[in-house]
Amino acid sequence: MSAHPALSEAPPRGEPSAVPRPDGPSPVRPRRLLSHRRREAYAGLLFVLPMALLFIIFRFGPSLAGLLLGFFDYYPGDTPEFVGVENFKRLAEDPNFWTALKVTLIFGFLSVPTGLAISTVMALLVRRGSRTVNFFRSVYFLPVITSLVVAAAVFGWFFSTGGPVSSVQSALGLGDASWLRSETLVILALVVVNVWTRYGYGMLILLARLQDQPRELEDAMRTDGASSMQRFRHLTLPHLRPALFFLAVIETTASFQIFDLVYLMTGGGPARASHTLVLDLYERGFRNLEFGMASAIGGVLFVLTLVVAGIQHFMLGRDRT
Amino acid sequence: MTHPVHQPPQPRVTSRRRLRLDTGTPDAGGSRLGRAVRLGTLALMAVLTFFPFYAMVLISFKPAGAVDFPGILAPWNLELSAYQRVLGGSDLIRWFINSVIYSLVSVVLVLLLATLAGYAFAKKRFPGRSGLFWSFLAMVMVPYHVTLIPTFAMLSQLHGVSTWWGLILPTIANAQAVFLMRQFILGIPDDLFEAARIDGASELRTFFTLVVPLCRPILATLGVFVFLWHWNDFLWPLIMARKTDMWTLTVGVSSLQEQAAPFNVVFAGATLSLAPVFIAYLFAQRHFVEGVASTGIKG
Repeated sequence: MSAHPALSEAPPRGEPSAVPRPDGPSPVRPRRLLSHRRREAYAGLLFVLPMALLFIIFRFGPSLAGLLLGFFDYYPGDTPEFVGVENFKRLAEDPNFWTALKVTLIFGFLSVPTGLAISTVMALLVRRGSRTVNFFRSVYFLPVITSLVVAAAVFGWFFSTGGPVSSVQSALGLGDASWLRSETLVILALVVVNVWTRYGYGMLILLARLQDQPRELEDAMRTDGASSMQRFRHLTLPHLRPALFFLAVIETTASFQIFDLVYLMTGGGPARASHTLVLDLYERGFRNLEFGMASAIGGVLFVLTLVVAGIQHFMLGRDRT
Repeated sequence: MTHPVHQPPQPRVTSRRRLRLDTGTPDAGGSRLGRAVRLGTLALMAVLTFFPFYAMVLISFKPAGAVDFPGILAPWNLELSAYQRVLGGSDLIRWFINSVIYSLVSVVLVLLLATLAGYAFAKKRFPGRSGLFWSFLAMVMVPYHVTLIPTFAMLSQLHGVSTWWGLILPTIANAQAVFLMRQFILGIPDDLFEAARIDGASELRTFFTLVVPLCRPILATLGVFVFLWHWNDFLWPLIMARKTDMWTLTVGVSSLQEQAAPFNVVFAGATLSLAPVFIAYLFAQRHFVEGVASTGIKG
C-alpha cells in the first residue's frame, strides 16, 4: 500500500489538461470556454481526490459503521449479527454503564465551568500586556502543548501518598491518603489536571476576542463612573459571549471524551469511581473484544455530542434576536 | 459546529498584529494597589502552572530512593542515574525515533493533501464541490472514538496493525486542516491564479510555485499543530502499535509508569518526550500562540 496516494493517482489524468492547447488552430470560442471549465473541474477533482479517498475510507466509512455496529453482535473474526436494540438494552440494565455515564457527566460539569472561569479571569488579567505579562502568557500556554502522558505522570506523583498534596494534607492533620485512591476526591483530582492542561487555550481564544473590543466604549463608561464590575457585566461579557459559547461547546465535547488521563492516572478506579464512557468503550472493545457493545457506547457518545451541539444552536439562535 | 474551526484566519491578520503591538503598551487602568494585586495573581498562577514541570525535571535528576517532599524539590544532589537507566534499560531511543517518524511523515502528508484539497475547494469549480466540503466538515460531529473500532477492525483485516501505513494513513483525514487551508486560500485574490493560467503554467506547477509559497504562514501554524497532535497522540498508537518496537514515546513512557518504575525514571522518560516540544515552543512561540489566537486551532 502506497503512502502517497497523491503521487500514484496523478498520471492518468494528464490528458484532459492538455486538451485546450492542441486544438488551438480552430478556435471556436464556446468550445474553448467549455474546455477551460472542464480543465478546471478535472484539476479540482484531482486535487481533492487523495484527501477525499482518505476521508471516505477512514472517516465516512468508519463513522457510519461505528454507528451501525451498535445494533450488531460483533466479535473480531466473526461476521456481525444484527440484534436490533439488544446492545442498548443490555447497557440500560448494566449498572457499570450508568456509573460511567454519571462519572462522565459529573466530570464535565465540574471541569468545564471551572476551566472557563479561570480562562476568563486570566484573559482579563493578561489583557494589557507588558514584557512580564507576555512572559506569563507563554507559561500559561505551556501545559496546552504538553502531552497528557507527561501530565498524567507528574500529577500521578503530585497526588500520590507522600507527594505534595498528601504532605500538605497530613501537615494539616487530614491524613496522607492519596486523592487518586478516594472515591470522592478522584474526580476532583482529574478536574485539576484537566483544567491545568486546558485553561491556557481558552485564555488565548478569549484574549484574541478581547483585543477586538473597541477601547472607546470602555473609556466612555469609565468616565461616566462605571465600576470595573459594571464594565465587565455590561460591556466585556456580552462581547465575549460568542467566544465563550465556542469554548463551552468544544470543552464540553472534549470532557465527555476524556480517556488518556483516566486510563493513565486511575485506570477507572477506585471502585469505578473514575470509570468514564470512553474508558468503558475502550475496555469493552479492546480488552473484552465486544465490538458491538463498545460501538453502542460510541452511539451514546454521539448522542451526547449532538445534544451539546443542539443546546449551542438553540442558545446562539436565541442570542441573535 | 463542535470543533475548533471558528474563524477564518485571513481577515484577522490585522488583529493578529494588534495582539502583538498591544503587548508593548504600558499598563493602563487601575491604581498602584490594583496593579500589584494583578501582577501578584499572575505570578502565583505562573508558579502553580510551572510547578509540575519544575518538579518533573528536577526529580528526574534525583536518585531513585528520594521521595521525601518537599526535600526532593531542592536543586542539589543531582545525578544522571535515571537517564542512564531509561536510556540503557528500555527502548526509549527507538520510541523517540518512532515518534519522530509518526509526526514528521504525518505533517508532510497532512500539509500536502490539505493544501491540495483546500485549494480545490477554494478556487476550482467542480461538480459536488460544496456537498463534499460540507460532508468533510460534518464529520467533526461524529466523535473520533465512534470510528475507533471499525477502523481498527478494517485495518486488522488488511493486516495494517503494527504497520506504519496503518498507523499514519487514518490520521491524515483531518477536517480541521482542510478547513483552515480552504479559508486561507479563499482570501488570496483570483487574479494571481488567472495570471499564472494565461502564462500557460500547468495546474501542478501553479500549485507548487504559487499556491504553496503564498500559504507559507498558515502552513507553518498548521504544521506546528499537526506535529503536536501526533507527537502527543496516545490512544491511536496504543491501539495500533502492538509491538514494542513500533511504540511511540507516549505509549513507551506510559508503559514505564505501568511497570511501576520509580518516579525519577518515569520522569526522565517524560522529560525527554517533552524536550523537543519545549524547545520548539521556545523558538517558535509565535506560531503556537498566534496560531491559536488567529485560527482557534486547538493545541
